[in-house]
Amino acid sequence: MKIGENDLRMRTFKWLFGRNSEFWPKNMKTGMWAWIGHRITGVALVVYIFMHLSFITTASLGDGPKNFDALMKITSQPLFIVLDFLLVVVVIYHAMNGLRVVLFDAGIGIKRQKQVFWIAMGIAAVLIIGGIIALWHLVFPGGGA
Amino acid sequence: MAPRLPRRRCLMTQQMSVKTSKVAGTWAWFFQRVSAVLLIVFLGVHIFVDHFMNVGSETAGETLITFGDVSMRLGDFVYIFVDYTLLALVLFHGLNGARTVLFDFDMFIKRKKAVDVGLWILGVATLVWGIVILWPFIKGG
Repeated sequence: MKIGENDLRMRTFKWLFGRNSEFWPKNMKTGMWAWIGHRITGVALVVYIFMHLSFITTASLGDGPKNFDALMKITSQPLFIVLDFLLVVVVIYHAMNGLRVVLFDAGIGIKRQKQVFWIAMGIAAVLIIGGIIALWHLVFPGGGA
Repeated sequence: MAPRLPRRRCLMTQQMSVKTSKVAGTWAWFFQRVSAVLLIVFLGVHIFVDHFMNVGSETAGETLITFGDVSMRLGDFVYIFVDYTLLALVLFHGLNGARTVLFDFDMFIKRKKAVDVGLWILGVATLVWGIVILWPFIKGG
């Protein structure tokens, strides 16, 4: 009885993640990659929002206001700028792919879903480049390189 | 070109997503779209105002945003409204999205009521938390 159960579990696993499954990279098409990316960035952003609130808490409650300048100095270090950049990429991907999903739900562009995906990603790329330029000014105020 | 594997078209994902959307409900789907579009607008304002209009003041030879800068911005009712609305939208959208992910799994579908109650409590508590931590800035220290 027990062996049979394990056997079934193994088969379920293969069905989900095996070579013939939908999630095996070779079997995934554009829409599937977009969906997985949307899920991963979505979960990451939920985690981020709680980190964001925690950080504001340390800068506002108790001795926060007095330590505010010191906290800002920490967050202007290169490591945090890299994390900021990562945030920009994640937010813009999620927003642009999300807009694509909203369009499809409104019945617009489903027949050309692949082209719509790449147009959305093109807009995302432009916005991300804008983000890099903006962050550059924050790291090197007054021109920089 | 490598030979194509026989494709069972959308077998699992289709079944899964139909089931999930049935469990999650139409209102959850509708307000997820509404909040998504509003979030793009409010997040755009938030980023523009916080990082482009407010470039900070000179502190010890460096240009950094100070407590006073944030406090001054939040002296305007419009920005208090923008920040609090953004918080409410982001919490709804984020937790409703997490709910959809959870309902892809049978173990959470079985505990639908507990998931809903838990997420509502988490959302309201976090909203109150967010309102409280912005208060010192609004009051000005």
